[in-house]
Amino acid sequence: MATAGKVIKCKAAVAWEPNKPLVIEEIEVAPPQKNEIRIKVAASGMCHSDLYYLFEAKNSAGFPIVLGHEGAGVVESVGPGVTEFKPGDKVIPLGAYRCGECRLCKNPETNMCEKCWSNIESAQMSSSDTRFSCRGKPVLQFVGTSTFSEYTVLNQIAVTKIHPDARLDRVCLFACSFCTGYGAAVNTAKVQPGSVCAVFGMGAVGLAAVMGCKSAGASRIIAVDINEEKFEKAKIFGATDFVNPKAHQKPISEVLIEMTNGGVDYSLECVGDVTVMRSALESVVKGWGVAVIVGWNNVEDVSTRPVQLIAGRTLKGSMFGGYIGKESIPKLVLDHMAGRLNLDEFVTHTVKMDKINDVVELMKKGKCIRAIINISK
Amino acid sequence: MATAGKVIKCKAAVAWEPNKPLVIEEIEVAPPQKDEIRVKVVATGLCHTDLYHLFEGKEGFPTVLGHEGAGVVESVGPGVTEFKPGDKVIPLCASQCNECRFCKSSKTNLCEKSWSTNPCPTMAGPVTRFSCHGQPVLQFACTSTFSEYTVMNKIDLAKIHDDAQLDRVCLLACGVSTGYGAAINSAKVQPGSVCAVFGLGAVGLAAVMGCKSAGASRIIAVDINEEKFEKAKIFGATDFVNPKAHKKPISDVLIEMTDGGVDYSLECVGNVELMRSALESCVKGWGVSVIVGYTDLHDFAARPIQLIAGRTWTGSLLGGYKMKDDVPKLVLDHIAGRIKLDEFVTHTMNLEQINDAIELMKSGKCIRTIINMSK
Repeated sequence: MATAGKVIKCKAAVAWEPNKPLVIEEIEVAPPQKNEIRIKVAASGMCHSDLYYLFEAKNSAGFPIVLGHEGAGVVESVGPGVTEFKPGDKVIPLGAYRCGECRLCKNPETNMCEKCWSNIESAQMSSSDTRFSCRGKPVLQFVGTSTFSEYTVLNQIAVTKIHPDARLDRVCLFACSFCTGYGAAVNTAKVQPGSVCAVFGMGAVGLAAVMGCKSAGASRIIAVDINEEKFEKAKIFGATDFVNPKAHQKPISEVLIEMTNGGVDYSLECVGDVTVMRSALESVVKGWGVAVIVGWNNVEDVSTRPVQLIAGRTLKGSMFGGYIGKESIPKLVLDHMAGRLNLDEFVTHTVKMDKINDVVELMKKGKCIRAIINISK
Repeated sequence: MATAGKVIKCKAAVAWEPNKPLVIEEIEVAPPQKDEIRVKVVATGLCHTDLYHLFEGKEGFPTVLGHEGAGVVESVGPGVTEFKPGDKVIPLCASQCNECRFCKSSKTNLCEKSWSTNPCPTMAGPVTRFSCHGQPVLQFACTSTFSEYTVMNKIDLAKIHDDAQLDRVCLLACGVSTGYGAAINSAKVQPGSVCAVFGLGAVGLAAVMGCKSAGASRIIAVDINEEKFEKAKIFGATDFVNPKAHKKPISDVLIEMTDGGVDYSLECVGNVELMRSALESCVKGWGVSVIVGYTDLHDFAARPIQLIAGRTWTGSLLGGYKMKDDVPKLVLDHIAGRIKLDEFVTHTMNLEQINDAIELMKSGKCIRTIINMSK
């Protein structure tokens, strides 16, 4: 392409400081270096983790930054040493990748990587090495992806190649919410047929978790949310019961315990609130109940009484649904193309990038599930 | 026996109120009713949970403590066919009714009928066969082995082999099973793995023994009292760490020692800060931390990302053993030499010395004191 090897000036939604609207700016995107790929982003979802960083993480040193990690696009150019990708390939950038060399990567039973994690768990959740600048200042790439930009640059270990017929403005959801929720149910909780599940939080991740519980054969899926407007969509995804904690005097865990003769077999917390995480744990049955923390939170502790665990409950967490992105996303894309996985039901809005702050407002008010942002023309 | 059907007057160490020394009293032990068995207690250990109730409990007094005992059947109540006078038995501090949905599941050793299944601040069952000076006295953990005689429901009693050495296998009633099973059943330690055991009391040492039995390649024994390391080595520990000898948090020390963290950690103290350290010492991705030490006074806590990074946090009660089925098998393991018990015994006393035994335990100067009940 004509742009290969050169800096690209393009549009991006820059977060200059915490708690402020994103600003559409012209940024400079450097060419890919060794083992890197520059990607033209076609579409991106906005995920609650983007908002977590903008509003809750309270890390003023981690700005300016370009958020967005649920994108899909096309390779514009590749750096030296890249043989796996070529211009024109459809790809999905991965916030959760594997370096292949560390102790964690050598174990196929997990999707974790020491190198990737050390960036994500840092206060800025991103590497300091960035290919972006704006008005002379370096701009961080959120979890290395930054899909609220017309172009982005990633190391090839953090990019997965997908089928050329993939519909980019849908499969972008595999970059985060779908895998995170669906995988939490099928890979991490390992929901069993006939079991009783509770999913806390009916955002995209929670709805994907409901879909995963259904796919795994759960006999009952209890959707829990304080916003009853979310129940209709939860039902479409397979939820069988619907509980609004605010409609009860008792704590939600007691309500669920009563509904289920002692507690659910599996609960999934898809909100990122430590109080809800505690409730999710205390809602599972003694003896064998498993609670999975899916929602991201690194600002507060989750706590409970030791007897909760001594009585046989297990607390786990899930990162990207336990999926190894490079292996699994291409297959999920094929499932989508074959009609085996429905992503349309997640999409409640479609907008252009200049309306991105409207999406932030919709998300904050719980008025959308996924707004697909068409990033490039 | 001559005593069958009658009230037995016998010696017991009664805890009249919290935080006070136990008093050797004469108590009345009623005969066993339907489905009950009266047991002559031959030997008992003292376990930290007895102290937990004595010093932290508020309700549940007067009571006779002790839940780590072994004895012989004195008489049985109507309907009891499984036991007869003379049988060697171990009273169980957790029930196994074999009828409830927990008993029917292979995933858990809970039992709906057990006193411990629901929150129980008195730490005793709803009924007692004990009285003293005209007052009912509770049976701690439904067992009460600091009494020459006790009365158990059949779901709370395991029949063991006639060759069992009662002043050793009593330890399988709690401490040793709790630790050993936490490693084997709850953590499910795998061959070649790296383990850390926090707290080298009897439960921790039994956990070390369990990790070794499961084939762990490294067992890191963690305790602030370095005198405990010698015994940990006998049970199979390969590394020894005193958190107080380091400036860094213990989890950082263990992570450095093990290229990222241990595969399994077991908290055998009952301290919520240590529970957090034990979790944080586990490797990301697959590390499993098991809470073994009992406490219900404070919350424990961690950052959610510790779990999101792939660690699992769970707990263990009585080593995950279904006690009625499994304690007899553990007794056979001891008879066959597959489980060590002698090495846990640091002191032997009689019932009159029970308060000395308590002081010894508080000072951390014993592992297990065996109290010989009868003459």
